[in-house]
Amino acid sequence: MKHLSEEAMVELYYGEGEGDASAHVKACRECAAQYAELTQSLDAMSPVVVPAKDAQYGERVWQALEPRLIPYEKKARGWFGWSLSGWTGWKAATLALGCAMLLAVAFAGGRYWERITAKTENSAGNKNPQTTQPTVVVVLTDHLDRTERLLVALEHADSQDHVENAQLQSEARELLVSNRLYRTTAKHAKDPALAGALDRLEGVLAEIANDPNLTAEDLQRVRSEMNTQGILFEIRVLKTRTTDQGNKTNSGRGASI
Amino acid sequence: MQENDHSIVRAVLAGDKEAYGALVHAHSGSVFRVAFRMMGNEADAEEIVQEAFLRGYQRLESFQQRASFGTWVYRIAVNCALDRIKRPGIEAEYRAGDESDPEEKTVQVETQDADPERALLSREISAVQERAMQRLTPTEKTAFVLRHHEDRSVSEIAEVLGIAPNAAKNAVFRAVQKLRRELAPLRGMA
Repeated sequence: MKHLSEEAMVELYYGEGEGDASAHVKACRECAAQYAELTQSLDAMSPVVVPAKDAQYGERVWQALEPRLIPYEKKARGWFGWSLSGWTGWKAATLALGCAMLLAVAFAGGRYWERITAKTENSAGNKNPQTTQPTVVVVLTDHLDRTERLLVALEHADSQDHVENAQLQSEARELLVSNRLYRTTAKHAKDPALAGALDRLEGVLAEIANDPNLTAEDLQRVRSEMNTQGILFEIRVLKTRTTDQGNKTNSGRGASI
Repeated sequence: MQENDHSIVRAVLAGDKEAYGALVHAHSGSVFRVAFRMMGNEADAEEIVQEAFLRGYQRLESFQQRASFGTWVYRIAVNCALDRIKRPGIEAEYRAGDESDPEEKTVQVETQDADPERALLSREISAVQERAMQRLTPTEKTAFVLRHHEDRSVSEIAEVLGIAPNAAKNAVFRAVQKLRRELAPLRGMA
């Protein structure tokens, strides 16, 4: 019988575990004992007593806040929140007519442009459905490169060098933002290997980025607790994969990026 | 309530600054609660409340009408508190809890015992708890407070912290692991 992990027990305690976990705890004596111990320690975390605030508290907050607020500019709001104050009926009608004409010109221009572009593509005779893919691959490879460098730096960062730590932290902050976008995209593109690796990576980046006073001990803790070696390995595998994808696309097109 | 909040937001954006007072009255209690749980003292929590409502007012144009104003300003407050915890000075002050007067630094915890010995023990336990909380990273501390004390789901925590749900789940898990380790000597005392 496979026993429950500590993580699964924590999830179960907070009511987010699967139904199987609950059934397992009921059936398995060993897990039941461990779960009881976990429950006891978490229950013992006494609730923090928040000082009671009287009914006037909200008013006091408002009184302190009010002088610091600058009123928003008064606007008469029309369709889609556009300001139409001061516009008479005929002016609005002229605007609407102008917009409609502009739209018609843009539509006709678009059709004409489409026809010209299609003609040019046909005459070139080299249509490739993956023309945009290399750009995506290059951008992702660049992100993975930077990530790899950060993880390598993290592996070797054991000094008390504050400047180096600050650089590491600033790089982690930048990567955290782009990593979030890549993870979401990978998830939508149904690429679980990439999404999973970026997900684990995000945890490491968040830890480094959010630490107010990054010390050698903090870095050591991140390395040991979050298995950065394993993540580095995953990133290297993914890099190889994306580079291969890029090469295939290029050889198909007979050109290099 | 939500519909009412939305109409107030529209009024504020149309220039009625005074209308914002109604939102402050309605939500200052819940914002104070989470701020206190994160900061551990009343003075800092009150400052966080002010800052959260001020930032909320300044960014009101970005508030999306499908969201709840209460949840929105709550998230701003958590981020204000997180920013403050992350400031090196504040963090150093937090971590200095070991050396300073425990009475001053310790967050009050519930005790219904009139027995002085039990009360002393309870205070001792709460001091150990507070020290254990201070050893968590800001992300772990926020994730734990939101999960354990505020009963927020992992996805809500992820949204507040701007990280993936799995990373939020791991942060809660690491916090629980560390706290259990720190509090292990107290087992059986409580």
